[in-house]
Amino acid sequence: MGLAIEAFGLTKRFGSFTAVDHVDLSVKEGEIFGLLGPNGAGKSTLVRMLTTLMRPTEGTAKVGGYDIVNQADEVRKIIGLVAEKLILYPRLNAVENLMFFGRLYGMGGEELRRKVDELIEMVRLERFKHFPIGGYSSGMRQRLNVVRALLHDPKILFLDEPTAMLDPQSIRFIRDLIKDLRKGGRTIILTTHIMDEAEELSDRVAIIDHGRILVVDTPEGLKARFGVSNLLEVFLELTGRDLRDRAENRVPIRAIGRV
Amino acid sequence: MIRTGARRAIYVTMVMAHKDLLDFWKAKMLVVSFTLFPIVMMIIFGYMFPSITSTNPYAGKFPSQYGRLPIGIVDEDGSRISEGIADQFAQLSSTTGLFSVRSFASLEVAKDKMTEGKLKGVLVIPQGFSGALSSNRQATLILIADDTNPQLASSIIGQVSSLIRIISEGVAASRISDIAAGADPEALLEPISLEREPFVKGSATTFQFLAPGFMALTVTMGTLSGLAASISREREQGTLDGIMSSPVPRYAVIASKLLAQTARGMLQSFIILAISMLFFGVRVYGNPLLMVLTMFLAVLSFSGIGIIITSIAGEQETAMTSLMLITMPMTFLSNVVFPIEQLPWFLQAIGKSLPLYYSADALRKIIVLNAQMHHIAPDLIVLVLYSLATLSAAIPIFVRSVSR
Repeated sequence: MGLAIEAFGLTKRFGSFTAVDHVDLSVKEGEIFGLLGPNGAGKSTLVRMLTTLMRPTEGTAKVGGYDIVNQADEVRKIIGLVAEKLILYPRLNAVENLMFFGRLYGMGGEELRRKVDELIEMVRLERFKHFPIGGYSSGMRQRLNVVRALLHDPKILFLDEPTAMLDPQSIRFIRDLIKDLRKGGRTIILTTHIMDEAEELSDRVAIIDHGRILVVDTPEGLKARFGVSNLLEVFLELTGRDLRDRAENRVPIRAIGRV
Repeated sequence: MIRTGARRAIYVTMVMAHKDLLDFWKAKMLVVSFTLFPIVMMIIFGYMFPSITSTNPYAGKFPSQYGRLPIGIVDEDGSRISEGIADQFAQLSSTTGLFSVRSFASLEVAKDKMTEGKLKGVLVIPQGFSGALSSNRQATLILIADDTNPQLASSIIGQVSSLIRIISEGVAASRISDIAAGADPEALLEPISLEREPFVKGSATTFQFLAPGFMALTVTMGTLSGLAASISREREQGTLDGIMSSPVPRYAVIASKLLAQTARGMLQSFIILAISMLFFGVRVYGNPLLMVLTMFLAVLSFSGIGIIITSIAGEQETAMTSLMLITMPMTFLSNVVFPIEQLPWFLQAIGKSLPLYYSADALRKIIVLNAQMHHIAPDLIVLVLYSLATLSAAIPIFVRSVSR
């Protein structure tokens, strides 16, 4: 099996602050790869670079075999992104939102209409598909937000905290959906700090802190290595038990740039 | 390959512009306020600077900013001659639409009315007026204007003097024909006369000056602030990430925003034009296509600056506030509301360095003077150069700001 993602010394600096520090990474095709780390560890910055939203300061990476800087457009064609913030227009309804993004990927006509209906059905929003999504509940919105990234059948899917702030039913729904999504051999990069989610879904996880990857292994491998019974213990062992919002750890807003 | 690339870029530009307009259309209150804004603005400005009706034979001769002002007349002379003069004055006042005239028995009563604010001036025909007139001496009238408002008073003085000059010339003409029968009294009174021939077709009104300026102003300001708001909002709500992570050329993102915002700006401009034509007698003499082209260049010439500011500012409030710093002075310096000639030289220089000056100028020439392409070419060249310079700087700055 080939590699979906390879990163070589990938680095991102904001002024004197290094958000991602010489990260080497390989993600196999068809696996669910969990990216774990405390707030501000550099997960989102890493994902933003891999999804071509941010240029690396140093190093490079290949996504689906394409260089993220020199072949950014090729990368964009094969990736899907579920970001931390919703990528949906609140005044538009579900159909309008999905039709719009589908067209950006060059889809159109009957093919797009069918795909949109299929996706809306998949997340059980048929009854609400003509309502502006501003009136949806958070769970409904997030369901639509996830399938928005599936319009063009991406080979590689990036999910940045897809279940944050959802109720247990919605969390269950989304997790089952993620399991379904890998079935076609799709690679999924899952960013989360919900440990049982990572444990349940991921084939392998990387724990990242201070911009560096501390460890990469299967959840079982990690638990065995540290002699603990769950991933949370591994996580706290590696990243410490102190709160992470001491002044020296905080990145000034300006340095982060537009996020 | 290049052709399909360009085709695709145009297609996604249209798709994104359509999405922006659909998003706008869905916000009903926004659409209503957006449509009402130019209507309210034009009605206020329209009645602030009223134009003269063209059915008036004295149209253009007596520009009045104030409408019919109440003026009193006191005839202390009490003769047949003075009565005739008072009648003539009242009649002229009413045909020119300058004053509404009431006579008063005494100066005291009239002055009381002035103190109450019910009269803005009093014209007195003093005793001995008819005596002087009939013995061929110079007769004098006295005008008391309410100079608590000096601007109003000086306007009244000017207008009353013009009316009195007409009456006085009538008296002179009848005397001339008494003395020298067969002579042309007008040639004797005014051996050299100056006749005004209009340059502008129809009647030139303040509104012919204001309306094109407001159109250029609205289309640029509307687009500029719409552009800033739209880009920053998409960045803040996160939808920009969805667009930027899809295979869409970066310049197409900007082009689509420009297109959608320009369409909105033009809508407002045409509302302005419609109101000006319906209520304030503005007529379009020029080519509507040339008008649209000029408005499009007006927008394009400023959009680069808007994009640069939005990109650097990062979030909406900063972007909007920074833009105000440019749009507010631009409103007053670019020959839109006030003639630029009123300004000191350095403000004129600033005004003439802003593209709005050129777009307002070109638009005015097209609408009022039916200017053709070659008349407004210098204006358009300035706008094109401005657009090229600012946009070529803006696009890389925008791309950098969204991919840091």
